[in-house]
Amino acid sequence: MVVMAAGAGAAMATSRPMHSVTTLITVDVRSTGSASFARRQQQQHKYEVASLSRPNLLEAAFTGLHCTDFGAFLCPRQHRFCSGISEVALQRSATHLQQSRKSRWAVVSASSGQTESKKILLMGGTRFIGIYLARLLVEAGHEVTMFTRGKAAITQQLADESDKDYAEFSGKVKHIQGDRLDFEGLKSKLSGTGFEAVYDINGREAVEVEPILEALPNIKQYIFCSSAGVYLKSDLLPHFEVDAVDPKSRHKGKLDTESLLQKKGVPWTSIRPVYIYGPLNYNPVEEWFFHRLKVGRPIPVPNSGLQVTQLGHVKDLAKAFVSVLQNPVAIGEVYNISGSKYVTFDGIARACAKAAGFATPEIVYYNPKEFDFGKKKAFPLRDQHFFTSIEKAQKDLGWAPEFGLVDGLADSYNLDFGRGTFRKAADFSTDDMILEKLGIKVAVAA
Amino acid sequence: MVMACGAAALFPLTTISLASSTATTSSLPIISASFCRLPHPQSPFCCIPTGATSIGGSSIRRRFLQLRASAAEEAEKHNVLVVNTNSGGHAFIGFWVAKEMRAAGHRVTVFTVGAETSEKMNKPPFSQFSELREIGVETVWGDPSSIGAKFGSNASFDIVLDNNGKDLEAVKPVADWANESGVGQFLFVSSAGIYKTSDELPHIEGDAVKADAGHVGVENYIGQLSFQSWASFRPQYMTGFGNNKDCEEWFFDRIVRGRPVPIPSPGLQLTNIAHVSDLSSMIALAIEKPKEAHGTIFNAVSDRAVTFDGLVRLCALAAGCEAKIIHYDPKALNIDAKKAFPFRNMHFYAEPRAAKEKLGWKSKTHLSEDLKARFQVYVTNGRHKKDIKFELDDKILDSMKVPVTI
Repeated sequence: MVVMAAGAGAAMATSRPMHSVTTLITVDVRSTGSASFARRQQQQHKYEVASLSRPNLLEAAFTGLHCTDFGAFLCPRQHRFCSGISEVALQRSATHLQQSRKSRWAVVSASSGQTESKKILLMGGTRFIGIYLARLLVEAGHEVTMFTRGKAAITQQLADESDKDYAEFSGKVKHIQGDRLDFEGLKSKLSGTGFEAVYDINGREAVEVEPILEALPNIKQYIFCSSAGVYLKSDLLPHFEVDAVDPKSRHKGKLDTESLLQKKGVPWTSIRPVYIYGPLNYNPVEEWFFHRLKVGRPIPVPNSGLQVTQLGHVKDLAKAFVSVLQNPVAIGEVYNISGSKYVTFDGIARACAKAAGFATPEIVYYNPKEFDFGKKKAFPLRDQHFFTSIEKAQKDLGWAPEFGLVDGLADSYNLDFGRGTFRKAADFSTDDMILEKLGIKVAVAA
Repeated sequence: MVMACGAAALFPLTTISLASSTATTSSLPIISASFCRLPHPQSPFCCIPTGATSIGGSSIRRRFLQLRASAAEEAEKHNVLVVNTNSGGHAFIGFWVAKEMRAAGHRVTVFTVGAETSEKMNKPPFSQFSELREIGVETVWGDPSSIGAKFGSNASFDIVLDNNGKDLEAVKPVADWANESGVGQFLFVSSAGIYKTSDELPHIEGDAVKADAGHVGVENYIGQLSFQSWASFRPQYMTGFGNNKDCEEWFFDRIVRGRPVPIPSPGLQLTNIAHVSDLSSMIALAIEKPKEAHGTIFNAVSDRAVTFDGLVRLCALAAGCEAKIIHYDPKALNIDAKKAFPFRNMHFYAEPRAAKEKLGWKSKTHLSEDLKARFQVYVTNGRHKKDIKFELDDKILDSMKVPVTI
């Protein structure tokens, strides 16, 4: 990370994009003053010192930097070049200074785009989140290795990806074949590999993490894909990261994993998504609605349709995962990651229709208690309010979702379902049970 | 000064300050306003490197200390005018803001609509206005449309909070007078009710509003005047001492008498009940940071929504009683939900994102705790023994064939 100091004077210096460990950049025309200060800091605190020499490059060098700590940021008046970073630092400082008048200094940290290349292990990576995450990491210059059983193709070309881009990506990404549930095999395959960071996208139980930690004792960061499903159901919403979790939830394994990482003293970060959607989604979220909209079927929604939930685009999630890499603010922290707004069940049906260019659907309501659907799911979402606040991630990581609900669903439709691809074939058996009971006849489009 | 974070070994996190040499002592080494958003003379950005005496010696440190001290002395004391409605759910916002501003050492005048002798003044918060006078708040009464006559054009107020008007007709005289009198900051209490309903929640600042809503007209008008700083606050429902309108009492009335609580189906409608102190702190922060607040709409709500059923449960918990919820469909029973239930029968859920982002505001509402405190007041006032008629409730319960006592 880069620590910024400022002084008076006219001349400035730029930084080369430096690696992520502490770099002191002095912005001080009185070169003697800054040089001696820098020397002292170097001796005392062992920082790297980069002196900035060309003022017009300063702003470019600081693109993507954001203030991660509170404090004041002093910058000489003449230096308009400071404006970008100082404004951000000020903004951040202002909020933090409200909380604590003791801290004074702005710490500026480089975004991962300007950090050094890391050797990264991706557990999974071939199905959904990892597809987008791997690409971002490779683009950022990291060496990415996926660990999978090899059942699915290691890489697949995206619908909107050029042959050239795909060739470049698939050429760079590496693969270790193995079953992560074979703990001994996993450990031996990872030993000595020297991975610096792990993205654990498909871990379910805490016990699955141990062999990885044993094989990689010097791991610099363990980034875990958890789930907002760990939150205890509440009358007060949204869920914040500080809220109570449910030790009895279906996602208990995710909770146990977070606890294990904490206990082991590993530098870890946990991401809790809500419902993820986007092209190549293997969980039938938007696909479920698209199947019905395509053939003009009514959408059966349980109970009132007023249940409020939250969808997050997978590409925004991938960006969030990248934003925590090598980010000291994120160590030991949990982040809710999803869309900026929440939506009712009825609203999802209407948004899917709008995104895909279908007519506004007929929605029919039923009481799920009056049916026995067996093992089948009559509706893809849990029948309750389920949504989280993403403000911690926005504040700490400078991340924000780029997709709104309708344009996100349009992205999914245009690059996946709308091209005739989907993961699960349409199954309207539960729909027909519901419609029959409600006495509704379906005129299905051919 | 070095701060190490949790993973110090891996990512040494350090904070370094660096003050300039004060070769040009007339200008402070603080961020100039030309490209940085420096809010106030008493900005917290006049900072001193606490431990960094290595930088340029103690002379710099002394200089900073001097500048900071003088800045603090110059910290403005305001002369605040609150134009306050004489009834309704918003009435006590002015009461709380007056107290908070007075506690911060500012001069405050509360100008209540109507006559001091009006019967409306027997209800809270007006019945508690002696508390304001005791701390030096001036309380006056009159007609806002003739505010100019009341205070003259040189009234020396620098901040005006209109907590009264719901449309331009009511607010224009106040806004115009304030503008002409040179008032620096104009704040308006609007309403979150003006947001257009949507499938997507919550209402956030910038979302579409109903164009014909009175409050919208006011917000648009104020923005066109030449105040150095103006802001609009959109509240929802509030609880707290001095409330002119029932909020949680509606629930306590039923729970404490062992009556079922009729809730419009399905009961998971989301709403926001904020403690009024969250609103007064937000407004106080906007007064403290006029540049950040300028031209901004703020949702004046807490940062948690609660469902109708959830609210019944929290009230029951606060009252230490059981509660039975009966869901009913107002339309099917031909009941006017507006009369039968105190909150809008729909999701009505705004979030205070602008206040958090721009002012660094934090919600301190803890609804479960606030309701416990409110229940104590409910009992102290003897309302639990009051003879209340539950005509609409009985009608609903009768239609649902539910016995009255649980």
